[in-house]
Amino acid sequence: MSVLLKLSGLSITARLADGELTLLDDVDLEIRRGQIVGVVGESGSGKTTLARAVVGLLDRNVRVDRGTVTVGDEQVVAPGVDRTARVRGSAVGMVFQDASRSLNPLLKVRTQLAEVLRRHVRDITRAEVERRSVEVLAQMRIDDPGRVLASYPHQLSGGLRQRVAIGLAVVTRPALVIADECTTALDVTTQTKVVDLFRTLVDELGIGLLFVTHDLMLASDLCDRIAVMSGGRVVEQGDALTVLDRPQQEYTRRLLAAIPSWS
Amino acid sequence: MSQLELDPVTAPVSPPRRAGRRARTSAFWLALPLAVAAVAVFVLPLTGLLPDGGQNLDATRQPPAFLAGGSWAHPLGTDKLGQDLLTQFVSAGRLTIVIGLVGALVAIGPGTLLGLLAGYFRGWVDRVISILIDAQLALPFILVALAIIANRGSSLPVLFLVLALTGWAVCARVTRAATLAIRERQFVVGLRAAGASEPRIVFRHILPNLAGTIVALGTLQVGTAILVESALSFLGLGVVPPMNSWGSMLASGQDELSQAWWIAFFPGLAITVLVLLVNLLGDALLTHHDPRKRRR
Repeated sequence: MSVLLKLSGLSITARLADGELTLLDDVDLEIRRGQIVGVVGESGSGKTTLARAVVGLLDRNVRVDRGTVTVGDEQVVAPGVDRTARVRGSAVGMVFQDASRSLNPLLKVRTQLAEVLRRHVRDITRAEVERRSVEVLAQMRIDDPGRVLASYPHQLSGGLRQRVAIGLAVVTRPALVIADECTTALDVTTQTKVVDLFRTLVDELGIGLLFVTHDLMLASDLCDRIAVMSGGRVVEQGDALTVLDRPQQEYTRRLLAAIPSWS
Repeated sequence: MSQLELDPVTAPVSPPRRAGRRARTSAFWLALPLAVAAVAVFVLPLTGLLPDGGQNLDATRQPPAFLAGGSWAHPLGTDKLGQDLLTQFVSAGRLTIVIGLVGALVAIGPGTLLGLLAGYFRGWVDRVISILIDAQLALPFILVALAIIANRGSSLPVLFLVLALTGWAVCARVTRAATLAIRERQFVVGLRAAGASEPRIVFRHILPNLAGTIVALGTLQVGTAILVESALSFLGLGVVPPMNSWGSMLASGQDELSQAWWIAFFPGLAITVLVLLVNLLGDALLTHHDPRKRRR
């Protein structure tokens, strides 16, 4: 299986008014084709920084100190190097937390999909744009793509909007999709549907998925591998079931113990 | 399509739907008299209904028709040269409205652009533009106006220059704040993640989302422009004869206040009512589009 994303020894710090803050500390991570890797941890553990580093969406005051990010066989991030623009939207698609806000409220879904396609697929014809838009919405298990394409985001339900947002990320057929807390704003039923959708997409299209979440149970349902983060470090990493059933680290044990249960 | 069709510009402002609708209704009722007045000052001169505007030294300082000694030949009376005041009032209103609209545009244009750049790019661009804004706002406008007009003389282009200089800073500041809020919205971050170019993000995605705010700002700026013009004309620095605005009519009427108060009164009243309506309209639109009142 080919490696889609490889983070090796990635260390990132933020310059603040009163000194420096380590956001990521020596992070190693790998995603292969057809694999879902979950990154879990509490708020501030560095999950989102990790996700954003891959597409170069870090804040201005944030700097890569050591380590590299490699997408496919292209090294996109290294200290002082940012070539993420070459993979953004083409090799890597990104889905965000709140779908209702990840679409431009003023443009119809059709326009937004077409814009992404035109940007990344050279000399694409109008008919081809329409065909691929319908196709991607069908892949998102949307029943009437025609109506959704002709709608403004506010005319769609939250679940539909999140599917459209995922569609926007995968319409250019990236090999890797990064989902940053993308189920957090959804109710549990919709959450399950979105998670199922991700599973089918990964199986059908053979993409890799980096799934960032604070929800351990969700991660255990969906992911093949899990990386547990705390204070900018990956404290434990491995097969999802192994990590959750036989946690090696004290931190993971405490995180698991914090999940409310009936017993 | 069975879906609810909404005007795309107003659509994203979903939260206080009822408040939004109320603001839109009041905006309509405020815009109506303004539209009627604007059409009137442009159409009336074409109808031939207005009295002849020429001098008549036999009928100077005639009071308006509804006062003792007035006649319907001169509904608003005459000035010290016996010229009909209604005719002057209408043509002066025309220029006042044109100055208000153009004056707002010349302030809104550069103000919006600079605010957009400062808010989107932040960093040193923002610092430079913010310093310019603060510097501009620290200068008393009358001083700026005096300096420019003393140097360039009074004419319409100079007046618009003054209006642009005194108006852009407020527009830039508001646009900057609104842009700062929008650039952090997820769809903008998403666009960057999807590899959209920055000019495209700024002009195709952020600018249209600011349209409501800009329209509201522009409306308020019309009121400000009219007031600035009136103040300058009153000081003899704005519109000079043979052109006439309500501000310059007010100025020429001030010497006559004791004998013929109506010469200054009606233009003064008109300025007050016009600016009040325009400002209320701007406020209603702003309530409708204020990013702070939007759901985040």
